[in-house]
Amino acid sequence: MKPDDILKFSLADFTYNDSDEVLSPPEDFETWIEDPRVQMAMSFFEQPLEEAPTPRTTIERGISGESRDMINLTSYNYLGLSTHPEVVEAAVEAVEEYGVGASGAAMLSGTFDQHIRFAEEIAEFKGRDDCMLYPSGYAGNLGAIQALLQRGDVLVIDDKCHRSVVDGAQLAGARLASFRHNDPESLDAMLQRYEDKRRLVVVEGVYSMDGDLADLPSLLEVCEHHEVPVYIDEAHSSLVFGEHGKGVAEHFGVSDRIGVDFGTLSKAFGGIGGFVCADEDIIRYMKCYASPFQFSCALPPPIVAAMRKSLEVATRDSSLRDKLWDNVEQFRTNLEALNLDLGESESQVIPIIVGSSGQQLMELALAAQQRGLYLQPIDFPAVEAHGRRFRISVSAQLTEEDIDEACNIIEDTIAKPLNSG
Amino acid sequence: MSEERTKEDVIEIIKANLKENLHDVDIEEITPESSMRDYGANSLDIIEVVSATMRQLEIRVPRSELSQVENIDQLADKFMEYL
Repeated sequence: MKPDDILKFSLADFTYNDSDEVLSPPEDFETWIEDPRVQMAMSFFEQPLEEAPTPRTTIERGISGESRDMINLTSYNYLGLSTHPEVVEAAVEAVEEYGVGASGAAMLSGTFDQHIRFAEEIAEFKGRDDCMLYPSGYAGNLGAIQALLQRGDVLVIDDKCHRSVVDGAQLAGARLASFRHNDPESLDAMLQRYEDKRRLVVVEGVYSMDGDLADLPSLLEVCEHHEVPVYIDEAHSSLVFGEHGKGVAEHFGVSDRIGVDFGTLSKAFGGIGGFVCADEDIIRYMKCYASPFQFSCALPPPIVAAMRKSLEVATRDSSLRDKLWDNVEQFRTNLEALNLDLGESESQVIPIIVGSSGQQLMELALAAQQRGLYLQPIDFPAVEAHGRRFRISVSAQLTEEDIDEACNIIEDTIAKPLNSG
Repeated sequence: MSEERTKEDVIEIIKANLKENLHDVDIEEITPESSMRDYGANSLDIIEVVSATMRQLEIRVPRSELSQVENIDQLADKFMEYL
């Protein structure tokens, strides 16, 4: 690899290992990743937070190793529940009562009374028959899709769906087919193509890299025409969208037309875990065949106790959601005044699209972080090569002063260079 | 060796790899003006077809340069630049 070519390559280029030795990475990957320019970009990854993921936190900088107080726009602690006093208290009390871990898989010894109550509460919240819990969001999508599908079936997904959905199809041995993002005609063509197969359609409530919503009214019409069930991933929309926080399906008034309602506990809930809600008979079946459920240790009881409290706090009234949406509006107003490309975002996830230059993205990220703004660059292949970006995760915990200060830094370090170029 | 390849050769290699990955597509029905997605290829299939073709051609094209390629003909053009 020539030095001039280094920056043309990315993590997308080294998935095939041509080394004879399994334990040796590809030689050109080593050349690429050891280049100082790539090392600078890699220094943004795994920067350790030294305090809670609140809007003001301390981070050990990857580039310099110094500890730095920063405004955090990257954590997806949308409602601030990760550090909510009642949630923390529930976790502490449960640690004292149950200890730290579940010490078993859910089917054998890992199910506690907390898990049973929480699954009932989530099902009731979502208006579904039943719910099953998973140790992570990734495991939830992986396990649910693996249990629902088999070889010969087709999983039809929006082409912006999360990797966990893709991997679920792989684990199931099902054919994976994708339709153009939010395009009902493309979905219709794909369902037609595989009309003789058992099919399942997956969409996301909020798309995590763009912040736009599934066009559920149009897509559901197509699915119903083909009599194919819909699985919605409400990872970024549970507790955020809808009158009661049930998600984007509630927002569009179509909850009763959804077959499977998936969510995570690591976003607005502020913890970790995944949940899958559906009819009782299919949940009972999935529990028997979802490997990530059967062969993982169950969620720690203190986390479950904390998540029960998160649900209670977030749904006792709309105050946290109202504050989040006020903050989203303030952010959007400020950012739009800076003449930035915010894509099609309709949610608390707001991208700032920089364009095709990875080098420029990293230079802007470095400048912003040196000014004390923890805003992470999102590079190809996580997003399209011509749509490299920053992604703001708005939190209800941000104050007006936080937002104004953050936007001032964005203006100086991102907007001015972009608008002058 | 690779200098002797024509664009038609490259298209034939892409078509063979597409057939290899999709199984249910007839190689005769694949036209260069089409996208691999038109034949039901998903993102993982496309990664595999592109990787296998580059290995056979003994070239390495950065994936970022392929992200706006819309059909098999354009993909072959891009590969030809590196032969």
